[in-house]
Amino acid sequence: MSGGAARWPTGLPGALDTAIEEAAAPGGPFHPATGSRLDAREEFPAAACAVLDDCGTARAYVPAELGGVPGGLPELVAALRTVARRDVTVAVAHGKTFLGSVPTWVAGTDEQRRALARRVLDGAVVSWGLTEPGHGSDLLAGELTAETTADGGRRLDGAKWPINNATRGDLISVLARTAPEGGPRGFGLLLVDKAALAAGSWSPLPKEPTHGIRGADISGIRFTGAEVPADALTGAAGDGLDVVLRSLQLTRTVCTSLSLGAGEHALRLAHAFAAGRAMYGTTLLRLPLARRVLGRAAASLALADAAALLAARAAHCLTGEMSVVSALVKAGVPEIVQLAVDDLAELLGARGFLTEHHADGAFQKLERDHRIVAIFDGSTAVNRALLINQFPVLARLHRKGTHDAEGLAATVGAEPVPPLDPGALRLFSRTGCSAVQALPGAAGRLAALAAAGAVPPRVPELARALAEEAAAVAAAMAAPLPAGRGTPAEAFETARRYERCFAGAAAVHLLLADPGDPRRVSSLTAAMERALELLRPGHEAPLEAYETVLETLADPAKELIA
Amino acid sequence: MTELTTQTAQPTAAELVDWLRDRVAAQTGRPAEEIDADVPLNDYGLDSVYVFGLCAEIEDQYGIEVEPTVMWDNTSLAPLAEALLTLIAAR
Amino acid sequence: MTSARSADTAPRPGTGTGPAGAPEAGRPEDADPREATPRPEATGYPEGTGCPEAAGRPADVDRLERLFGDAGDPANPVGRNAVLAADDRAGMLAAGEDLLTRFGLNAHFVPRDLGGRFEQLDDLVRVMRAVYRRDPCLGLGYGAGSFMAAVNVWTAGSTGQRERLAGRLLSGGRAACAYHELDHGNDFTRAGLTALPGPDGRLRLNGRKEVVANLRRAETVVLFARTDPAHGSRSHSQLLFDTADLPAAAVRHLDRYPTVGMRGVQLGGIEFTDCPVPDDSVVGRPGQGVETALRSFQLTRVALPGMTIGLLDTALRTALRGARGRTLYGGRAADLPLSRTILAETFADLLLADTFTTVAARAAHTAPAQAGVYASAVKSFVPTVLIRAVQRLSELLGSQFYLRAGEQPLFQKLLRDVQPSAFGHASRVSCQSALLAQLPLTARRGWRADTADPLPADTFRAGRPLPPLRFADLAVSAAGRDPLARSLVVATASAAPDDPLAGSGRAWCARLAELTADASGLAPTLIGPDAPPYAFGLTARWTGVLAASACLNTWWNRPAEAAGSAADPAVTLAVLHRLGSHLDHHREPLPPRLAEPLYAELGRRLDAGLTFDLDRRPTGA
Repeated sequence: MSGGAARWPTGLPGALDTAIEEAAAPGGPFHPATGSRLDAREEFPAAACAVLDDCGTARAYVPAELGGVPGGLPELVAALRTVARRDVTVAVAHGKTFLGSVPTWVAGTDEQRRALARRVLDGAVVSWGLTEPGHGSDLLAGELTAETTADGGRRLDGAKWPINNATRGDLISVLARTAPEGGPRGFGLLLVDKAALAAGSWSPLPKEPTHGIRGADISGIRFTGAEVPADALTGAAGDGLDVVLRSLQLTRTVCTSLSLGAGEHALRLAHAFAAGRAMYGTTLLRLPLARRVLGRAAASLALADAAALLAARAAHCLTGEMSVVSALVKAGVPEIVQLAVDDLAELLGARGFLTEHHADGAFQKLERDHRIVAIFDGSTAVNRALLINQFPVLARLHRKGTHDAEGLAATVGAEPVPPLDPGALRLFSRTGCSAVQALPGAAGRLAALAAAGAVPPRVPELARALAEEAAAVAAAMAAPLPAGRGTPAEAFETARRYERCFAGAAAVHLLLADPGDPRRVSSLTAAMERALELLRPGHEAPLEAYETVLETLADPAKELIA
Repeated sequence: MTELTTQTAQPTAAELVDWLRDRVAAQTGRPAEEIDADVPLNDYGLDSVYVFGLCAEIEDQYGIEVEPTVMWDNTSLAPLAEALLTLIAAR
Repeated sequence: MTSARSADTAPRPGTGTGPAGAPEAGRPEDADPREATPRPEATGYPEGTGCPEAAGRPADVDRLERLFGDAGDPANPVGRNAVLAADDRAGMLAAGEDLLTRFGLNAHFVPRDLGGRFEQLDDLVRVMRAVYRRDPCLGLGYGAGSFMAAVNVWTAGSTGQRERLAGRLLSGGRAACAYHELDHGNDFTRAGLTALPGPDGRLRLNGRKEVVANLRRAETVVLFARTDPAHGSRSHSQLLFDTADLPAAAVRHLDRYPTVGMRGVQLGGIEFTDCPVPDDSVVGRPGQGVETALRSFQLTRVALPGMTIGLLDTALRTALRGARGRTLYGGRAADLPLSRTILAETFADLLLADTFTTVAARAAHTAPAQAGVYASAVKSFVPTVLIRAVQRLSELLGSQFYLRAGEQPLFQKLLRDVQPSAFGHASRVSCQSALLAQLPLTARRGWRADTADPLPADTFRAGRPLPPLRFADLAVSAAGRDPLARSLVVATASAAPDDPLAGSGRAWCARLAELTADASGLAPTLIGPDAPPYAFGLTARWTGVLAASACLNTWWNRPAEAAGSAADPAVTLAVLHRLGSHLDHHREPLPPRLAEPLYAELGRRLDAGLTFDLDRRPTGA
């Protein structure tokens, strides 16, 4: 169930893995020295993106019924993770087309959907213009206007910045003020074809120098009286915010792929270093403290992996819960992975700080690159605010223990996911978060399995402990909170704990769905151990808890969770 | 937060506005008498996404299903109550 | 806003003191009446906003601050724009180096009896912190490297060597501290570079040193080399020599090591092939090298984290400016409760780091035999606090932190520059290993001794003079004595029942008692490098007790005339709350009753142009 390519040996991730491996030869576009050089020079990784084009990666951005890959969001997450574990910058640069296209998949007419699918499959780069100078994540503060023209089209005036692929993009989906007074019904989303704009009615804004993903095209675009036809509107004129919020539920879920890839990359670099580093007559890898750091990082990745997989499948099977689930993984997964990357950086020491001399500076590059994930597509704080907003319902449903059992069963299973129904995306989940709410029941079933000798006794212990944590978090969520700008810091901490409950619950449910494979069980058990560490102050997993994931890691042919 | 999930009787518009006003007051930490039924909720610090929390309370109190965007289409309490009364009557 | 400083009271660099370009190095403090006393009136701040009595020697820091001027002034050759431009070119800020030469920074590394101005370790930290506030690359690349090299010589060198190095530094020269080999990292006892007698009896160097600051630029090198092929702790020595005295053919400089942070610092490598060194190069007795390193680096392991607090000071200032200037959901980002909490917690983190390092630096004077334990404790704990704090501050800036040309472009540089504080000089693990080796004895002897002496009270009184630093008294082992922990026990026992910190004191004493029980039985086999994670965890608990003692005793020894935040127990309670969070006792945000006073103080200091550390001095950073 992990490792990107391994789960899809005949699908796009497998093909990508093979192609990237070939392109990683010295001098090739995916060789780490190439990535480091482009990063230093702030050059776009065009050759690496071409490798992705040649593999037909665009098919992962398009719904299956419009000619895309059959695996839906899980296959897309696996594909982008396969890229990100080599170079996060390339995954960010190429994957943006999915983000720019989602609003059309979510709210476009059949004709708009078919037309965009053709363009994307032909290799068009699509960008998504939400943010504006000075307004950050505050979408309703946007000032770019789209006034109606005499022929029923719209005239765009204003700037979008900083935007990934704003300059390289052929198309850009733009959130614009369709009513002068703005407000939640005052914005619309327009898909702008730059080639069809009158000359002089738009101009690119220069590339922004950035901390990481230095090669990516982070720039902007300014419209000055740019006229677009009436059918540029995605959804109705006042639907912009609604469409954006639903679209973000899918894009935020896919963002986790960048963290999974970066984390896997960091772990492999650190593991290789530790295995080769002679220390005190042995290797660093054999010293218990270093083993613990590596094993804990591997368990963190297994945990992040479980959460991301469950979320990607939930988009298809628990679609109405994605307002909660996408926020949980967009806030939780990058943070869990960043903590692991930070620990691995400490293990690598000076070598992780050098930009050329150790492994071509790959570690320091991925460390900077990865920090973008917690910022874009809604920062961690923004996503936590979305969760906090749903606390009362989540608390009540948790106390009741109700959940969508059928949807959850389909989500945790191994069967191919059904087509995603964007019409089922909701701004507010009526069923809360089934995966967390179902934890007590899952713990009970695992206890029965353990009693029958089918799983180790530690498994139900952990599931019970996670269920206790979830109950405590639910109690904290039930406390009345001031809304909006007054939200206190404790509420953000409660949201963080809830994210970790979800990740732990993901591991519990995935284990329960297929308890027969011992290696998978041990990886998911390590993930649960890590979830408990992340939830309980001062708690440390038992001494041997992470040994199996570490041994799996030592054999590069195996995946963290298979 | 209310614990009520049982269906209440059909309220009058004034009762509904009063109940909503209490909820907004609780969420924003303002005295209820400061909440004007004709002033957009945004002006009281309830942003477009934060109003969803209020939506859930309405569902619980009156046993109806409310699409959260009803809060966007009716930005202050008076028109919101009107829209909700229709939904409550139809339940 | 930048600062209250006006153009006419903020001299541009080079115009403030002395004839332009004339080195002030070595000039005794009282030789120039202009610098003999603090001149608060010249800073442009109302009197009383600073806290002169809290600083041992604020005049030097204030003078340096005046030389640096207003960092926000685009025309300032050592301002933020210039610092960022140098970083982009991966070069040192030349105007900054000139300024530090004029200021005579090197004199602060040279003991007074050798003609310099180094007397108190905490004063050196203060001066260097001012440099780190402006540009950490200058701090490490101009100053700290020379100091790290020099302490070896001050500790173990002959009179001739000491005078030679003093002369070199006082004339504005540099010394490189060449210990590091990539294959051995911080484990310098495994160093492979050899200095063995050749046929003529002279020592000959073979091998390489890698990733060493200023190796190419420094005129003088302190080199750590194996002088005996046998294993053990008597097989290494430091060598002190000028590179100009080596035969050029036997020396090869390696390519520079570019790094992601501290980009301006020139990290070099050097390879020796059968290279003879002058006869008088060995520092101290041959074979004494490991001991000299362990003793002398006690000072630098306290000083480096203490200097790096200046980096957090500026990161905090930068993030606060950014959060104030950033509008989010119809208000200032800085006004959101989450932002206020992050800012207050970071401020408390800074004060925690400062209190602990200041006490440890002063303890090097009052308890030199135990300085090794306190240095390892500081170096294992404070860098992590600083790094986490800078990383957390990035949340206040949103996407702005990721933009190198954004509203607060300095921030991303500080985020990169702070990283080496974790692994540079001594990593957390190597410091914890050093603590672990001394833990069982300390648990059995020191913590159970009911009559042992605590630290002298002046250790906790930042403004009070200290006994001279006696390099000869620095010891390899603390012999199981821990007067800082003892200070916790003694002071808690004598605290008034209504003292607002008495409860905290009792709680930390209870933790010490638990640790004593857990550590006393630690088997000797469990304290080596292959110790289990649990054993390393015990050293973190020890460090926590020491940090708590530093904070509590600083409170209990506060000056009688203390006012404002220095007299508010909420500050110490907040600092201890953060300490508990760093030790993972809890994960709760700072409660508003503790956070709000700190947040208010933070804003006052920013507006008044004061530093955020214990000194509260004027700064143009």
